[in-house]
Amino acid sequence: MMSTTEKAMEAFVHETGGWVAAQLEACTRCGMCAEACHFYQATGNPEYAPVWKMELLRRAYEQRFTIIGGVKATLGLDKRVTDEDLAHWSDLNYEACTVCNKCSMVCPMGIDIGSLLHGMRAGLAAAEVIPADLAAAVTKQVNEGSPLGMTDTVWDQRLEWVADEWEVEIPRDVKGATTMVVFSSIEVMKFPANVAAIAKILNKAGEKWTVSSKAREIVNFGFYEGSEEHTKLFLNRVLDGAKDLGVKRIVVTECGHAYDALRWHAANWIPEASNFDVIHITGVLGELVGSGRIKIKPGFFDNGGKITFHDACKIQRKGGHIQEPRDILKVLAPNSFTEMTPNREESVCCGGGGGVIAVKAADPVRYASFELKIDQVNAVGAKTVSMTCSNCRLQFTDSVDHFKLDWKVAGLSQMVADALEE
Amino acid sequence: MNSQAVLEFARGPFFYFALLFMLFGLAFRLFSVISLGWSRDRVSPMGSKTKGVVVTFLKAFLIWPFIPWVKNTFNRNPLIYIGGGLFHLSLFVVIILGTPHMLVWKSLIGFGWATLPLPIVDWMSAIGIIAMVILLINRRIHPVLKLISGPAEFFAWLFVFLPMLTGYMMTHHIGGSYEALYARHMITVDVLMIWIPLSRISHFVFYFFSRAIHGQEFGKRGVAV
Repeated sequence: MMSTTEKAMEAFVHETGGWVAAQLEACTRCGMCAEACHFYQATGNPEYAPVWKMELLRRAYEQRFTIIGGVKATLGLDKRVTDEDLAHWSDLNYEACTVCNKCSMVCPMGIDIGSLLHGMRAGLAAAEVIPADLAAAVTKQVNEGSPLGMTDTVWDQRLEWVADEWEVEIPRDVKGATTMVVFSSIEVMKFPANVAAIAKILNKAGEKWTVSSKAREIVNFGFYEGSEEHTKLFLNRVLDGAKDLGVKRIVVTECGHAYDALRWHAANWIPEASNFDVIHITGVLGELVGSGRIKIKPGFFDNGGKITFHDACKIQRKGGHIQEPRDILKVLAPNSFTEMTPNREESVCCGGGGGVIAVKAADPVRYASFELKIDQVNAVGAKTVSMTCSNCRLQFTDSVDHFKLDWKVAGLSQMVADALEE
Repeated sequence: MNSQAVLEFARGPFFYFALLFMLFGLAFRLFSVISLGWSRDRVSPMGSKTKGVVVTFLKAFLIWPFIPWVKNTFNRNPLIYIGGGLFHLSLFVVIILGTPHMLVWKSLIGFGWATLPLPIVDWMSAIGIIAMVILLINRRIHPVLKLISGPAEFFAWLFVFLPMLTGYMMTHHIGGSYEALYARHMITVDVLMIWIPLSRISHFVFYFFSRAIHGQEFGKRGVAV
């Protein structure tokens, strides 16, 4: 029977290929990554420095794969990883890291720190040293198909209700459709207007689309957790649904982590994933507006005060859909759309991603890091913050409530749907 | 043993041993890393990986070093940028553009190049030394750097610092006969060369990997790097 620490070490070692090793070797321990981290900026806690968050991965690599590391560990110059270490680094990684990868933007060596931090999570998940609430959510997704309790029946009833309430058609299980849309349970359960909005837009564009009762949840708590096994299980549910219906492309709705998993990782774990085009709804909106397949009313949002756009780490910086939201907002609000600083790929994370919002113990640091966002939004005097990620939106709506702010938090799809030309 | 004999040893057998140790050590480390294997990326790209790699190297060498203040993080911790930047610039000027060092290169690789006048090189070496001292102090007081630094970081600093200091002392004839100063400089250089493959000073080798990976990852997503 392997101990907890051994399990974690095995997973760390498993994560380590030349790709990881070369990057760990390049680190000069200059500490600059700390300055990029919103949790460090907000709290000043040196343990939140990204380089420190991946300390166990470094130790595992050096002690297992390098002669010098082995010698140092034997002489007691480098600490061995213990169970206490795992518990401590679990707190650091799941409570104070959203895997937003801003740190890689400032690393003078260009290390892709975000991927290494995901490797840290892989080790912690293998050892099952993860926050209880996150573990519960994963178990719920394994058993019920969704971490938010969106069972088959709930999904069915909610979509029916959305279709009725917003008078919009939501095609289900249509074989031969081109596009399969998979909503996140956050949208279905908490932002149903977003579901209606996306349906309205796709219908208007004449897109041959469908939802699948098999692939009903895009959220991937296995990816938050860092467990390859769970991540694949949840990805496969989506891919199986797509395979059954014979669609060409899968649209990920306003969810960041899910998009990262399905678009930028799935093909490396599950070869069949490359049979489908995976695109985020932001890309679809850009395509539809750009090609004129849908028409939006210019200046529709120009009379409600300044509007700014919050870049989501997994959809913009790590996803590539940076320009589309701006092109759309410049049509919807040519006079009142203002950029925050920093923005685009340099943007600061909302503080709720990477599963952090699901971990109760993280609340204090999550709110503290949101204060950076408050400063940025207030600096441009915006009254509406638009975004393309429901997880960011959850963090925004929760924090707006917590800090009693008078902002409107808007999903981009919903704004587009509201401004559709009849 | 007199200074002359020490010098002969330090610039003779010891130098060649250290040089070979460094080269083989680095080659071994490089091989160890590469032999861990590289899994193929099957994800279909949205932008060009090659473009990402080219752009990130160009920016890293030609743009960011000259306008660092446009980066937010610069304003949050300018000392580490300026100190680190000046230290590396100083190394480049002294080791590549200083006449005595160019002559060493010439003897090793067979050709030389134009160098900078001594006063400029001398000032740059002084700046490098000051930068190193400031960086060390910073490492001792900055909470993050304190947390992530151990004996390895201190030794790496020391073994880089000593050749800089002894080189400067040698140029200015401080602390002994020419032979003694020269011998001291050569010994510290030899020790540094041995220490490079044993420490993170070797980052200059792996830099090309991590920077290329960065360019690839952002390039394939079509995001500016």
